[in-house]
Amino acid sequence: MTTSLFLVQLINGLQYGLLLFLIASGLTLVFGVMGILNLAHGSMYMVGAYLAWYFVEHTGSFGVSAIISAIIALLIGIFVERTLIRQLYRRNHLDQVLLTIGMIFVFNALQGILWGNDPLGVSVPESLAGAIPLTDVLEYPVYRIFVALLCIGIAAVMYFMINKTRLGMLIRAGESNREMVECLGIDIRKLYTIVFAIGVMLAAVAGVAAAPMSSIVPGMGEHILITCFVVVVIGGMGSIKGAFVAALLVGLVDTFASVLVPQLSSMMIYILMAFILLLKPQGLFSS
Amino acid sequence: MLFNKRTERIFIWVFFPLALLMPLFLAENAFYISKMTSVMIFALFVMSLDYLVGRCGLITLGHAMFYGLGGYLFWMIAPEYEAVNFWVYTFYICMIASAVALVIGFLVLRTSGIYMIMITLAFAQMAFYFFSDSIEFGGNDGLFIYVKPETSIFGLSFFNLDDPVHFYYLCLLSLFNTLVFFRLLIRSRFGRVVDAIHENPGRTTALGYNIFLFRLMSYVIASALGAYAGYLFTLQYGFVNPSMLAWTTSGSALVMSILGGMGSIYGAILGTFVYEGLHYTLEHLTEHWMLFMGALIIAMVMVFKNGIAGYMEKLLEKRS
Repeated sequence: MTTSLFLVQLINGLQYGLLLFLIASGLTLVFGVMGILNLAHGSMYMVGAYLAWYFVEHTGSFGVSAIISAIIALLIGIFVERTLIRQLYRRNHLDQVLLTIGMIFVFNALQGILWGNDPLGVSVPESLAGAIPLTDVLEYPVYRIFVALLCIGIAAVMYFMINKTRLGMLIRAGESNREMVECLGIDIRKLYTIVFAIGVMLAAVAGVAAAPMSSIVPGMGEHILITCFVVVVIGGMGSIKGAFVAALLVGLVDTFASVLVPQLSSMMIYILMAFILLLKPQGLFSS
Repeated sequence: MLFNKRTERIFIWVFFPLALLMPLFLAENAFYISKMTSVMIFALFVMSLDYLVGRCGLITLGHAMFYGLGGYLFWMIAPEYEAVNFWVYTFYICMIASAVALVIGFLVLRTSGIYMIMITLAFAQMAFYFFSDSIEFGGNDGLFIYVKPETSIFGLSFFNLDDPVHFYYLCLLSLFNTLVFFRLLIRSRFGRVVDAIHENPGRTTALGYNIFLFRLMSYVIASALGAYAGYLFTLQYGFVNPSMLAWTTSGSALVMSILGGMGSIYGAILGTFVYEGLHYTLEHLTEHWMLFMGALIIAMVMVFKNGIAGYMEKLLEKRS
């Protein structure tokens, strides 16, 4: 492998990892704070991608479409939490699994009804359409770098929000002791609604960002869900820092495996997960 | 008394006689026989999962690995164009699956809870990609089984596996035997310890039991039965393919088991039949069956807190 090819794969891996982080962070946040195992999280990623396509077709602007999609995702999150998830806080993980599997069915069906089952595509917005030359023969698309930077930006905002703001303080408090937070006069239900909606929005934003890079197909949510679970578990359930490290690790391993050991590439991240869990049964950064 | 709960007894007395008589009425309709057979095979698989998840508290999302393994093992060890003995190969497949389960169980049972869900998933996904990415195993298309085994014991043959009705009865018998086996297991000393571990692992350890060993044995038993179900599936359709060990197979088995009533064992049959029945009916009524299926699953979580079996038990308790 030449240096330039290595470099391209490195950027690819990091970029994929950052995108994974965007989805996985919502999953781990919702689990860490609310104790909810949301299998329908991948569906939100799919919904984001489809919404992006729909609004790009109707408004013509990727930026506008991204903002509308994020807002719609936020509303879906609030609605789902208020009507369904709220019933399950005191139930076990298995009921949550069943409920969220039911939600996957519903979202997949709605996707089929609203947008059909043909693969769709969103073109890269014109302002980001170029490519940066790396060497004489290799170049790297601007849009992918933009997505990587966007993910880093969102990660930084999340870090700031959780560690420096009042909402973040409440989230951290809710994570360690629900009853105590309630006793202090804080409406934990409202907090949960906010956290869940943010989680849904993060997944949808990742879907929007991924839309121009990959084709939009039914079932894209389930595929990414499993990968994100791998990320979340390697990082340690509920740890956002862990999800960040694990996402980059998974992104790099997956990218390099498909170049170096193509016959094992699909298995590689699972081998990585099994290996890490056998050494550290609680993940890398367990609380 | 083997079937102690009233609901369970009623269910057994309704379900098995009906299933026994069904081919008499539907013998001409090959489709229903074959559909019923496949649902019963899957119910057997769900039952083995139900024991693991509901009784032992070991939640796995990788049980389909053994379902698929049952099919692939048969292709691997049986000669391609020669009929082998069904019972001998059942023994072989269960033994090999047990050996595999022993190794994997030894690794995965070190973790617990959500981490165990994920590590079982990891192993199942490895197996999935191992079979779906390899050319020798037919890749995504899977493999065909050309010759079905014969079923003689000491020269006496009761079943002809090429006859769908015979095969139907073989599966019904397998399902019934599995149910009886699990009831006996649960009521045995071994089963009591497993229940105790589920209730309180700490105390059971303090009582001097090696809980790891009990969990491992339960895992091996459930996995061997899961492989047997996969073997039956392969014999019914004459092929194996990687979708048998996809995580969605484990997922839907888990849904059926929760739907039926986790840990009730007979609930696995209920859950599988209700799920497959709904699936079949809705699929024929509307193109968007998934919407209704999803809504029904959500509604069932809200209404039936302990699955259908739990709901029925509650109804009967109110009456008496």
